[in-house]
Amino acid sequence: MTPQELVVRMLPAFGGWLALAALTLPGGSPLRGAAVVVFLAAGPGAALVRICGPALRARRAEGPVERRDPHFERHSDLLEGLMLALLLSVGVAMIVATVLIAAHAFSGQRVLLTLTVLTTLAAFCPSLRASPTPRTPKGAAP
Amino acid sequence: MPPSVPPSVPPSVPPSAQPSGLPGAAAARTPRRAVVRFLRASFARVSSSKPRSVAEHVTDLADLPPAWTGRGSAAWPAVPLLAALALWAYAVRHTDVSHLDDFGLVTALHPAFWAGLALLTGGFWFTVRDPERRSAWSFAYVLGLLVMERATQAVLYPTPLYSWAWKHDGVIDHLLTAGGLQTAGQLGDMAVYDQWPGFFAAQAALVRLLGVESASMYMAWWPLVSSLLLLLPLLLIYRTYTEDRRLIWTAVWLFYVANWVGQDYFSPQSVAFALHLGVLAVVLRRYGRSGGRRGQRQAVWTVLITVLIVAIVISHQLTPGMLVVSLLALCLTRRYRGWVPPVTAVVIFLAWCLTAALPFLSAAMPDMIRSVGDVGANVETGYGATPTGTGAIATSWAARLLSGSVLLLALAGVVRQRVLRHRALPLLLLAAAPLPMFAASSYGSEMIFRVLMFMLPGAAFFAAAALLPRVRTLAGDAAARQAGRRGPALGAGRRRFALTLPGRRVAWLPPLVLVAATLAFVPSYSGKDRINYFPPQEVALVHELFDRATAGSLVVAPDRNYPLAYASYWNVDHYWFLEDDKRHVEEILRDPAAVLARDMAAVEPPGRAYVLFTRGQTANSEMNGMLDGAQLAHIRTSVAASPRFALVARNSAGAVYTLRTGS
Repeated sequence: MTPQELVVRMLPAFGGWLALAALTLPGGSPLRGAAVVVFLAAGPGAALVRICGPALRARRAEGPVERRDPHFERHSDLLEGLMLALLLSVGVAMIVATVLIAAHAFSGQRVLLTLTVLTTLAAFCPSLRASPTPRTPKGAAP
Repeated sequence: MPPSVPPSVPPSVPPSAQPSGLPGAAAARTPRRAVVRFLRASFARVSSSKPRSVAEHVTDLADLPPAWTGRGSAAWPAVPLLAALALWAYAVRHTDVSHLDDFGLVTALHPAFWAGLALLTGGFWFTVRDPERRSAWSFAYVLGLLVMERATQAVLYPTPLYSWAWKHDGVIDHLLTAGGLQTAGQLGDMAVYDQWPGFFAAQAALVRLLGVESASMYMAWWPLVSSLLLLLPLLLIYRTYTEDRRLIWTAVWLFYVANWVGQDYFSPQSVAFALHLGVLAVVLRRYGRSGGRRGQRQAVWTVLITVLIVAIVISHQLTPGMLVVSLLALCLTRRYRGWVPPVTAVVIFLAWCLTAALPFLSAAMPDMIRSVGDVGANVETGYGATPTGTGAIATSWAARLLSGSVLLLALAGVVRQRVLRHRALPLLLLAAAPLPMFAASSYGSEMIFRVLMFMLPGAAFFAAAALLPRVRTLAGDAAARQAGRRGPALGAGRRRFALTLPGRRVAWLPPLVLVAATLAFVPSYSGKDRINYFPPQEVALVHELFDRATAGSLVVAPDRNYPLAYASYWNVDHYWFLEDDKRHVEEILRDPAAVLARDMAAVEPPGRAYVLFTRGQTANSEMNGMLDGAQLAHIRTSVAASPRFALVARNSAGAVYTLRTGS
């Protein structure tokens, strides 16, 4: 694993622990708000996208009929990753908060702690590999 | 771009060079030479300052590079953008919102705002038309648009807008107080929010984590946040069907200016709509037939969209229904005839409806079944929603004209752009998919607005296509050549498609339409701010009321259009008499103090009965065709003069009275 891959893998979890640490700052503090909002808006989703990424990128996405810009497809995939990181984070935060409130175990710190622990666990999960295509010869490199 | 050069027609190209004006192949040769000469000249000019060949990127006359290619030309889009933002900043500093009239923000805004918005739109149009400009400029313009459209109110008003947003703040307060979900036996009608708690639970967590007093501290900025959330899924949806940046960004622009419906405020539907578009973006990109072998790949995608669908289903009642009909509509095409996404959505939706949401649905089911098929009633906006007065009627018509124009443009795009109609058929289906919901329910008299909002992503794409050159396939181009109608080709043999240029006589029309639509957004979106804005005095008055109201108290008011209307709804009851039977309202008008005292008499100590009059209630009643200002003043005067009532608090925004014990 390269240092860059390690940073990508650990950054979302680090963001969660940073947000937890930021709770010691006074309420309404901009630093506290920034740490919490950035993690809630991107952390859990980014961790999930990293796990699923290789499997998701194994096949090309649907795209325009005309393909003139060689970078267009790559940029679309990048936008897709960003969108998933954002929307999955929002979605997971809503689900975790709902579960805790339905279980009468709700508090802001518990929501953040749960999301941070899930994100940290995700950081230690290996990425899902794409299944080889049927035409891949035996013994070939994946 | 110098002012002497029209945006889409280079000065060296004669009018006859335009494809639509060519009667035959012989006539096409001369203009073709002219175009080739122009291209060579342009290439020579541009190549001296830019490393890439312009000719490689040119697809039609509209793609020709600007005549002015000086050193500063790469950054010229910054000029109108910054000037527009400067005008906006000046305007908001010089706008007084303390005396709004029936036109809301429209008449209150400083003229510099309108100039800035027109300049921004013009700058966007000329920027987006140039293929050499990076998408970053279009992105910057769209951000500028969102700031001017969705952040102006947050900057201008000292308190959050919309009684509904304040209501949602009350729901979050309830969750934080109760620490769990409650039933209809404890909350009455308001228990519906505990059965779709996703958004409120997440916001409750956010309030605690930010360490702020309540969501009202930040909810004024929610329209900007929720609009930004839509940007990525919208871009992805449009990028699935075209590489043409003009089409993509013009569609995004039109979507935002046509989305005046006001569901971007602090509400579950604002987030659910973004998640809905996210699911559609994934399905459109990853569930098509041309994606190769399925299996593990699709299983992973299904896990991801399941997370998004669960978040939608636990947050909002209507959005899952819209998602299901949209996914089913996609199944009508051979390309997306996979049943995994709609079945996943239906299963999750039903699972929630048959468990957590069952109490509400079983109570509401008889009414829901009655409204199925009653399209006329479902489209009606209902009592208390009839625009009344010059301002309300004018802004209401502006909104209708804006929506009608965008839908007509979309229709024109569908008719005119035969190739896009074929290639982007799924978007056409997505635009039409919400229409059957008219037959399903009135959704509290709001179905027509919700259907419009869910139609917009698809409709905006074709509306943008109506404003841009026609897309032709290579085969279509060859057929036109055979028929002798072919225009000047620019290396058509090497390209998959070519775009045609609108006639010179109408070249001014698309930017004019875009500017008009962008300006029309303001009255459509902010024309009722006299109703939706609650000055700090009004907030303070209601705060004072609820500071006094003990458990078991009753708050009576003409209508529910005031801030904190649902504060402490779990232990303070409410009665809004204009929502009562019309005969009872007439009875109140005949003898206000006596009838209201009778209505409020059932409150048992230690609870007290209060009656609240505020300016927001008056504005809402007047502008929505209920009682007029004089009638409401008569009621208030009668209560104030009656010995049955005692004054509790009063300021410039209204007054609170309490029913004396023993009255």
